[in-house]
Amino acid sequence: MAVNGEALMWVEKYRPKILSDVVDQHAIVESLKAFMRNPKIMPHLMFAGIPGTGKTTTALCIAYELFSMQNWKNFTLELNASDERGIDTVRERVKDFSRYSRGAFGDVPFALIILDECDQMTGPAQTALRRIMETSSRTSRFILICNQSSKIIEPIQSRCAIFRFSRLEKTAMVEHLKSIAKKENVNISPEAVERIVDYSEGDLRHAINALQTAAAYKENSVVDEKVVSQVIGEASPKQVQLMLNKAINGDFMEARRIMYDIIGTYGFTGAEIIRQMQKELFKISYIAPEQKAELSNILGEYDYRLTQGANSDLQLSALLAQFTKAGITLGENS
Amino acid sequence: MKNDLWVEKYRPTTIKEVIGNEEAKTLFTEWIGNKKPLKKAVLLYGPPGVGKTTLVNAAAREYNFKIIEMNASDTRSEKAVNRIATPASSFTGLDKFSSEIKGNMLFLDEVDGIAGNEDRGGVNAVIKIIENTRTPIIMAANDPDLEKLRPLKKICLLIRFQQARIPLIIMALKKICEQEQVKYEFEALEKIALNSQGDVRSAINDLQGLSEEGKILTLQDTFALSLRNKNISMDETLKGYFAAKNVAEVASFLNSSDAEYDDLLMVIGDNVARRYTDIVELAKAYDYLSQADVFRGRIGTENWHLFKYFYNNLAQVAAVNPESYKPFEFITPPPIRVITLFWTKTKRTMLASICTKIGNQCHVSKYEAKMIYVPYLRLMLQQKNKTNTLIEWLKLTSEEVTFLTSLKMF
Repeated sequence: MAVNGEALMWVEKYRPKILSDVVDQHAIVESLKAFMRNPKIMPHLMFAGIPGTGKTTTALCIAYELFSMQNWKNFTLELNASDERGIDTVRERVKDFSRYSRGAFGDVPFALIILDECDQMTGPAQTALRRIMETSSRTSRFILICNQSSKIIEPIQSRCAIFRFSRLEKTAMVEHLKSIAKKENVNISPEAVERIVDYSEGDLRHAINALQTAAAYKENSVVDEKVVSQVIGEASPKQVQLMLNKAINGDFMEARRIMYDIIGTYGFTGAEIIRQMQKELFKISYIAPEQKAELSNILGEYDYRLTQGANSDLQLSALLAQFTKAGITLGENS
Repeated sequence: MKNDLWVEKYRPTTIKEVIGNEEAKTLFTEWIGNKKPLKKAVLLYGPPGVGKTTLVNAAAREYNFKIIEMNASDTRSEKAVNRIATPASSFTGLDKFSSEIKGNMLFLDEVDGIAGNEDRGGVNAVIKIIENTRTPIIMAANDPDLEKLRPLKKICLLIRFQQARIPLIIMALKKICEQEQVKYEFEALEKIALNSQGDVRSAINDLQGLSEEGKILTLQDTFALSLRNKNISMDETLKGYFAAKNVAEVASFLNSSDAEYDDLLMVIGDNVARRYTDIVELAKAYDYLSQADVFRGRIGTENWHLFKYFYNNLAQVAAVNPESYKPFEFITPPPIRVITLFWTKTKRTMLASICTKIGNQCHVSKYEAKMIYVPYLRLMLQQKNKTNTLIEWLKLTSEEVTFLTSLKMF
């Protein structure tokens, strides 16, 4: 575990340990507290919502509160559905786990299985999961975590109490970052905090990581907007931006080279690259909104072709070629 | 219409229309019309482009059979053969009672493609199916003497196809010229037919390749034809493919190459950017290539009836603007993708290991670690002061730290 018992990524260090501390999800916390008072009535739970809004934290808090800080690991199985490739691994681990933890001690008659990123599971895998949930329901409770509940099959949804985590309020994020800065004795200007919150798009983990990096970067006693901007610049997907710019400005070959560079180093899938291109496209300042819409449609078309095709970098190359062509007509019009 | 492939447009739809090979046609028609044939399976063999596949399809239409097709490029493991073929051969199907369809015919094209380790068990699976079948099985092969097909020969009716005779090919070409309103010198058609060595398909492709709207096809034009080599290399395929003057000529080159379709797709993808320097042309070519890949994806391992769409798109890639063609140096296999992924494997492995470590401590998946933690962690580690405890906490090795600090942002 942690060095001297202390986590050194601030995200972990300041991750709430009790439900009441979870940032800005009061309604959900109140309903969950009822289950904590009488765990026997707790159903399977499903947490849905955009990244960084406290789903995993809330699930962990439930584990802490049900089984205590010392023992929770003995009664909790934490799985990332997208990492534990294949339902067979999930099935084996859940089966083993529910066997060994049978008859959990104390007042809690079940063990807890936290399954993160469930929406990454395929349809058949989800069907198998549903079966696992049924067969182990006497000994286990599931907390399923996902970004979109619509990607979870109906039968699983109907077996769970669904909680939807909303995007965090800006003020709540600002307050939280300020309190962390205070505990770490970091002097940060209000504008710098605002800048971080704006950049992180409602993802608190993103924001806290940026804060910690900015604190490591600071040259004088105050973390100001300049330092934050520098960090954000360094941590933004520069190569994706460069690839986009090269393509739009007519240098297809260079754009394609960068694409291979990114795929080679980071191992992104075609869909993941397109997702980032989409995000970065809308940040480019020199393209008019309606032209962005046009380019975005091209992205959409190729996003679809990727799902049908056989060879993802061929589709990405073709996409970059369409962008280069569109870029030339953009240049002529302006 | 100009871009339609004549080979498809004028493919015979009745047994009678199939060119030549009268004896083979009679044998095959007898077999298929016989309710209790002596042998349950038939193997059609002979050189490419003489009408084997065409005959099977025409016969199916005339005798009201439904064709279930497997192609050589399919992985012919026993499992795959069983999965696709067994249901087709053991169920007679409700269609039989409800409509004109009399039943299924299983058609295994290019059975001499069953080869190597990948298709282990392929031949045996086919034999097993023939033994258990209730429906006719038709196989086609170019080279029936392959050692591994010997067991098949024992239990099949063998029907030999020969090269189509030259006068018959000339007649077919003449007919097409009339329909397409192409003016020609007779000697030109003769040359094309001779050059095809009895391969009707390639003759028609050549004809389409050489004829231009509003011009008379002369003997002079046909001098451009090189003698067909049935096993030309990837390099030569690319040369012919990109230098072709129109879509039909492209198609004829694709026909004559025995390159794997998937390799071809990747290699063309690498070279198309060198071929078209004009971005509008390049974008168009890439669009066709992308469509070809989409159809390749839809074909998967069994929907081979979609192959023509894959193929047509692939042919269009090279024919975007023949005018702009200049010889260029090819990027030959291995494709850029393979090379890139090979050279960067250690990088990705290291990144994956780092992301797993982050995931263990921070309750996130590898993907999230990569997206939300790595970008900041590498910056923190670049600030050398006070990072030791962080490194220790994440259990990073010194190589991993060095890797992270020098990692470029994606």
